[in-house]
Amino acid sequence: MMRRLFLKLFRRRRLQQDLETELAFHRAMSGEHHNPIPLGNEAVIKEQAFDLWRFNFIENLWRDLIYGARGLRRSPGLVIGAPLSLALGIGVNAAMFSLGVEFLFSEPSVRDAASLVSIRLGGNSNSPEEAIDFLAASGLFQAVVGEDLEAFSNFNDGTETHRVFAVYTTKNYFTGLGVPMLYGRGILPTDPKEVAVLRYQFWRKYFNSDPSVIGRRINMDGRVCTIVGILREHHRTPLGFGFSPDVYMPRWLDTTNLAIYARLKPGMPLAEARAGLDTVARRLDAAKPTTYKYAQSISVSAMAGYARLSSQPETMTIGIFFAVLLAITGLVLLIACVNVASLLLARASARRGEIAIRLALGASRGRLLQQLLAESVLLALLGALFGLALSQFTATLLARIPLPLPIPIYLQITPDWRVAAYCAILTTIATLVCGLLPALQSVKESIAPNLKRESKLRLRRALVIAQIATSVIVLTTGFLFLRNLVDANSISPGFDVRHTLRADVNLPPASYTNAQRKANYVDEVLRALAIIPGMESVAAARLTPFTDNVSFGSRLTFPDNGQQTEAYFKWNAVTPAFFQAMNIPIRRGRTFSTADRGEQVVIVNRTFVQRFLGNRQPIGTALLWGGGKPPCRIVGVVEGTKTVTIGEEPQPQLYEPLEQIDNDRLRIQFVMRSAIPPALQLDTVRRTLRRIDPMAGAEVETMYSGIGLAFLPSQVGAVLLGSIGILGLLLATVGLYGVMGYSVVRRTREIGIRIAIGATRSDISRMVLLDSARLTLAGSAIGLFVALFLTKPLAMFLVPGLKPTDPLSFGAVLIIMILTGVLAAWGPVRRAMGVDPNIALRYE
Amino acid sequence: MGKSAQPTLLQGTLDLLILHALQPGAMHGYAIAQTIHLLSDEVLRVEEGSLYPALYRLELDGAISAEWGLSENNRKAKYYAITKRGRKLVTEQHATWTRLSTAVQRVLAR
Repeated sequence: MMRRLFLKLFRRRRLQQDLETELAFHRAMSGEHHNPIPLGNEAVIKEQAFDLWRFNFIENLWRDLIYGARGLRRSPGLVIGAPLSLALGIGVNAAMFSLGVEFLFSEPSVRDAASLVSIRLGGNSNSPEEAIDFLAASGLFQAVVGEDLEAFSNFNDGTETHRVFAVYTTKNYFTGLGVPMLYGRGILPTDPKEVAVLRYQFWRKYFNSDPSVIGRRINMDGRVCTIVGILREHHRTPLGFGFSPDVYMPRWLDTTNLAIYARLKPGMPLAEARAGLDTVARRLDAAKPTTYKYAQSISVSAMAGYARLSSQPETMTIGIFFAVLLAITGLVLLIACVNVASLLLARASARRGEIAIRLALGASRGRLLQQLLAESVLLALLGALFGLALSQFTATLLARIPLPLPIPIYLQITPDWRVAAYCAILTTIATLVCGLLPALQSVKESIAPNLKRESKLRLRRALVIAQIATSVIVLTTGFLFLRNLVDANSISPGFDVRHTLRADVNLPPASYTNAQRKANYVDEVLRALAIIPGMESVAAARLTPFTDNVSFGSRLTFPDNGQQTEAYFKWNAVTPAFFQAMNIPIRRGRTFSTADRGEQVVIVNRTFVQRFLGNRQPIGTALLWGGGKPPCRIVGVVEGTKTVTIGEEPQPQLYEPLEQIDNDRLRIQFVMRSAIPPALQLDTVRRTLRRIDPMAGAEVETMYSGIGLAFLPSQVGAVLLGSIGILGLLLATVGLYGVMGYSVVRRTREIGIRIAIGATRSDISRMVLLDSARLTLAGSAIGLFVALFLTKPLAMFLVPGLKPTDPLSFGAVLIIMILTGVLAAWGPVRRAMGVDPNIALRYE
Repeated sequence: MGKSAQPTLLQGTLDLLILHALQPGAMHGYAIAQTIHLLSDEVLRVEEGSLYPALYRLELDGAISAEWGLSENNRKAKYYAITKRGRKLVTEQHATWTRLSTAVQRVLAR
């Protein structure tokens, strides 16, 4: 259909010539044969043929567009104002959309992503390699690969050691997934364990984008690895969500468990794969018995597109967040559309005469509508072009902002057909919303000239009320997040963030093979850090809040009366000075001490006591937890801290002494309390750590910057929604100003008469102001009502105690709207007061 | 533009006549008009004004195809040929026409 349309457009001239030649031939033949066949009217035949080819429609459309462009050239205000308005609306929408699409629906950079599935055995995200080998040997899948995502590695660039995010893979990872490479190749099953594939950005940073780096040796965790390949710039990992690790290496420690991905055989449905996996997992349980059953809870889920999203309920939250954002930006676009509609409506009233004449001359209504719509098509197209450019710019900018996250998240914003399609849909809607109402109105009013002004004004007033209502909705959500940000900042995380620092160290596995070595390292570091001038106290811990967390779901047993409780709590292992360094108050008892050696001790927080201990005296209470551990005694009760987000409810917490646990982890954190500003200590701490073990990568930062993640949702919400809200408010103010101005001009005569019969200036200004207030209040009431419902899904992003129906936010918005109404009416009021009755009554 | 039943009937008939005339082989517009004229014992006259719009419409519908060629007296002329779809159409329309005309005949015979 489209092809034929284009052919016709371009071949138009040829078709016309053909027709003429054919008719000439026909006549010549009739003449030669002296045939009395009467000659028809050539023009009519042509017209009929042209109609047949639908030239008229296309020609009209083209003519309308040219005519529209010419008309628009004469009103530069409209040409600049309308597309700018639309560009902001469409741009904001498309930017949100492209971020959302990239975050939620990005396709991993692999061959045929649709046939990939993610497998969980025994409910675990990671499984030992023997399980992967067993799956591969079963022949159920085309390929089975594994990767360990939660790994760090120490990269030494010759002068300094950096802690980088590494992924350990099975050797068939690159071949099995079919990962495209920029230079070199992926890891091959025949490779030794000392090879590495680098992320593009990592290669650019440390190797200056030098392609000859392939084959060079680098120092990773003290092992010399050969670089075999560089990934492409816009590489997307199978995990998605913008997760972008720096280095890929073959798994080399036997204890590393891996997440399993498999490629389905062609044509195998997911259900069949699941059933097959069940059988295989049962055989695996029989062949390699472990403490848990592989076959107990298995899952097979797709890894691309919507299928992936629906199989991971936690991502649905993020999906809802983007949906709310999109709804709100959609409202901004609506406000922008209404502005343009308002402008067009004003323009249409100027063209009243023209339209009436054309109708009288016999133009069909559809034809006139088509012509009037052509104008808004032009405006919307201009707006969409600007908007698309704007969106790519802002989305790229937003994605560049480094997120204060413990894992590398970078979104690859690239032009995308889905974003383009979204823009096209938005543009179409915008065209219809902006153009259809004014066009219909102007065609209708020309038929009933007496009603015209009343209904037009009524329409414009309705539009402005809608506009105010939508800006109230947008503003309310913006305000809510602003309040959230303020509240979140005032909530204490439960420990000191102003005078503290943290160091996150990743030990090279080769030289720390047993717990004793790690313990020695910790002791040495604590001693060295403690003598730094200005350092008040230092401690080591498995975790620091907000950067990492471990929770236990375990059965607590109290030996005193044999009572058992199912408990869920946050766990940490720390050295005795931890509570002092973090400034966590000890309410009862004491912290750990060296005298505790030989006895199992724990410290719990107040929430833990309230929730699980009943009316026991906490100090001295013995409890059993985590199957197989000897009973331990509570020696202290501390205040709680926040652990993951600033807004969370108080969590039960349990601390163990660091030396009491079997330290199987290579990651260790240090917290320090400094008398001088912690930022000044960063370099000294870095140097100290490097001196003690140059091969251990360490991230040192102030505690305040370290917990940035906790504030992220409120910050993003406040900044995004706040600025969107202000944008919406601006657009609505312009709309209100326009409608008030128009209503004053329309009532010039009336105002003149009023002044002539004795109305004072204040009467006049009160009249206009009241009118504006009526519109504002009506719009605000509708908006607040809708906002009550629309902000409901936002509750999960707010700090506790802050309800979506926050009266303060709603009140503030109402005040802002009233001020806006007054502001918008200011110009028109002055104009109304300046009306000269002599001129006004002679007018028209 | 109002539409009455008569033009539609005539139009349909003209289509059938054109397609039928084209069945033996391709010919140009003038020859089609002449063929119909002669085959109807000089009763039917296809006017230029209705012939060419009908031809273009049939071409758009895919019932006939057109190609430029040389006429018997060496002039450039457009030759129309019936397509597969056209042959199908002609069979259908022929059957419909036969039914219709016999029905009319029967009515008039009583």
